[in-house]
Amino acid sequence: MLHSYLVLSALVFAIGFFGVLLRRNTLIIFMGLELMLVASTLALVAFSRFNGTIGGDIFVFFILTVAAAEVAVGLAIIVALFRKRQTIEVDELDSLKN
Amino acid sequence: MGLFLFNFFALLTVICAVGVVVNKNTVNAAMCFMLCLVGVAGLFVLLEAYLLAFVLLLVYAGAVAALFLFIVMLLDTHSQPRPVRRFALVAATIAAALLAVAVLTFHQQPKLAMAAASTGASGASLKDYAYQLFTTYLLPVQIIGFLLLIAMLGVIVLSRKIEATEGAK
Amino acid sequence: MTMLQHAILVLVIPLVSAGVIALFLRRAGGIAAAVSVAAATAIAAIALILAIHGERFEASCEWLRLGNFALSIGIKFDDLAALMLAIVGVVGLCIHVFSLGYMHDDEAKARYFGGLSIFMFSMIGITLADNLFMMFIFWELVGFSSYLLIGHWYERRSASDAAKKAFIVNRVGDFGFLLGIIMCYWSNHTVNLSELGSGHLVYSRLIPLLLFCGAVGKSAQLPLQVWLPDAMEGPTPISALIHAATMVAAGIYMLCRINVLMVPDALTVIMWVGTATALYAALCAIVQSDIKKVLAYSTLSQLGYMVAAFGLGSLASTHDVGGMTHTIVIAAGVGAAMFHLTTHAFFKALLFLGSGSVIHACHHEQNIFRMGGLAKKMPLTFWTFTIGVAAIAGLPFFSGFYSKDAILHLAQEKNTAVFVLLVLTAVLTSFYMVRMWKLVFLGAPRSDQAEHAHEGGLTLTMPLIVLAVLSICGGYTTHEGTGLIYGHLFSGVLSQIPHAEGAGVFIMSLGILAVGAGIALALYKPAATDALAEKSPGLFTALVALRSSFDSVYDYYVTNVQQRFAMLLNFIEQIFLAGLIVRGFAGVVGLFGLGARALHVGKLNVYVYWFFGGVAVLWLFAIGVL
Repeated sequence: MLHSYLVLSALVFAIGFFGVLLRRNTLIIFMGLELMLVASTLALVAFSRFNGTIGGDIFVFFILTVAAAEVAVGLAIIVALFRKRQTIEVDELDSLKN
Repeated sequence: MGLFLFNFFALLTVICAVGVVVNKNTVNAAMCFMLCLVGVAGLFVLLEAYLLAFVLLLVYAGAVAALFLFIVMLLDTHSQPRPVRRFALVAATIAAALLAVAVLTFHQQPKLAMAAASTGASGASLKDYAYQLFTTYLLPVQIIGFLLLIAMLGVIVLSRKIEATEGAK
Repeated sequence: MTMLQHAILVLVIPLVSAGVIALFLRRAGGIAAAVSVAAATAIAAIALILAIHGERFEASCEWLRLGNFALSIGIKFDDLAALMLAIVGVVGLCIHVFSLGYMHDDEAKARYFGGLSIFMFSMIGITLADNLFMMFIFWELVGFSSYLLIGHWYERRSASDAAKKAFIVNRVGDFGFLLGIIMCYWSNHTVNLSELGSGHLVYSRLIPLLLFCGAVGKSAQLPLQVWLPDAMEGPTPISALIHAATMVAAGIYMLCRINVLMVPDALTVIMWVGTATALYAALCAIVQSDIKKVLAYSTLSQLGYMVAAFGLGSLASTHDVGGMTHTIVIAAGVGAAMFHLTTHAFFKALLFLGSGSVIHACHHEQNIFRMGGLAKKMPLTFWTFTIGVAAIAGLPFFSGFYSKDAILHLAQEKNTAVFVLLVLTAVLTSFYMVRMWKLVFLGAPRSDQAEHAHEGGLTLTMPLIVLAVLSICGGYTTHEGTGLIYGHLFSGVLSQIPHAEGAGVFIMSLGILAVGAGIALALYKPAATDALAEKSPGLFTALVALRSSFDSVYDYYVTNVQQRFAMLLNFIEQIFLAGLIVRGFAGVVGLFGLGARALHVGKLNVYVYWFFGGVAVLWLFAIGVL
């Protein structure tokens, strides 16, 4: 049933969001972001299946691609940051403070 | 049968998602993430979006998550101490609130409680999919290509040697 | 060239001259002088051409338009303007020529001549103005030129103070003037002088009195007369031009222009103000020891005469408002005032220039008790000065006699109290003028400078001769308004002069002269000190105190009342406006900044919380709660 898929999607999204809020390791935060994306793709596909349209499926395709590009660039940034600061803890990356 | 499979894959996804978030070891978290993606792929198959399921596995689990693993192992980080309990409580509260709101919204919409559509999933046919991709949604495809090019360039620029960037500073 | 073009030319030439001097000739005093004198010659020539040609016209063009309100610049050239323009041109030329000699050794000649040109421009502007706003603009310009020229020797503290005083006191009068113009515009929807003359007017007491305020300031009537004696700090030719012949006469001219707005009550006030000024100034003049100050008070007194003459114009027919009789009677005031203005311009300029010649010869010695015996040393100056004194004292067959006689005749017909006061003032006038004349010219020289005095050059004497001739002939007019030198030129104005019949007036004038001059000749022996001070010190000190009474009142007001009020306002501004409001606002903004700064924690998680907060707000918007 559509309803169950949507609840599942919301649950996974909430878990991902929880991770973004909670964790201090940048990589884990990033994985939480990816989890949120995956949850939204799940919802989209569910809608597309239950409405009989194809637009949702197509859009998932694009989301996938964008997520891949985003991960690539994000990880490149993290690596560069690690090289400079020798840390990937967000608590220690606070040079914008004040 | 469908219900059992749905439950199975749903449980897999949720447990692995939780595993990603609470794992102290980053490598473990990345592995859990991969497994979570497998669960979602299974759900896609249940929703008759076969191409997407495989694309998910190939691209997301196979490339993106693998990239994650690479970087995790590249950056030699030590295990993290547990996060502070106070923050955990606040974050959990917010996430729970988010979930509650979402579920409530779904409950209020009667149309969402529908059963599977009588017609088959239109995304099932590869031919239809491809056709739509190259006619109605051609522009986004081109833009995505452009985006990938930019991302590639960005990554290359960002990962130049430190000496070069330090000289610029 | 049409006459209109002539009129525009006469307005523009001095402006061009001033501009050229200001821009290019700041250091070239000689060339600046030449330019200015050339301009003055051109002005005089064109003024006479305009007058003789006889065409009288009007023209105007719109200058500014703000919605319904239009400010136009225009020229109204009727007989009144022609007469005034001729006076300004001829007297101005004489004074320009005199300045060539008088200011020959001055370092800032260019500034002086530039100021003279600007003054000519402004004065001609007032003369030709066809509406009150334009007149006001040039009114202010004249005040500015006066400020420039009084403070010509600004290194002297007294000179710059006097310039400031003149400007400020003028401003006070101009405030009333502006209020009057605004009221006039508000009531009548026009300030154009011709339109005011022809249409239906809203008669009110306030408009003419407010407009008269301007004349009170500019023509130095009571209570704003305090600036004129101090204005003698400027060079003598300036005193002659501005503060005797033309600028102070602008007030009278303006009154004549607005005579259509007059009502009997306003005229009564004007008459009494003029009479009081005349008497007060005459009393003050008796005890002055500076030659220029005597002439300054004399000017004040004569201006009082003119204003009183204007005010006397309508007292006969208070019940006949709007009828034919009313019009003629007012015009009689105009005629008498303008006639006296004309003759006064001639003989007062003559007297001032004569005193300038004396001062120049005595190397800038101005105290009459240190002069004496100059009659033999400077015969030309002596004779022209005597002609001037005779004119002002009212010796028959001199111009002053005719004009003063006209005023006295008007007073005799209309108001006996005023007549008595004016006669008394005439006696005092002859008294102090003869006093000054005797102390300066007769007897033996009382100082070294007087010993070595000699006649000035041609530039100093030619103007004296010209003005002396005009002082004699300027008074010959007839009933139809023609005159010996005027011809048919200004008949519109001169036909309005009231003429007395019979020998009675002749005898009265001679009597006034005999009494005043006789006492003066008898009383004042050529001595180093004031004879009146010796004979009756009480009277002397009383008269001196009279002179400074107004100044002390104003001084008290400014230091005690106005200064305290200003300090109170300053306090309010500092504490309240600047401190509380301005700095308070800045402080509040600073607080906002501090608050925003605290948000920048640097931790990613916190930013995610804020991000979530924003999403929550948006969601609330979306479901319609907010």
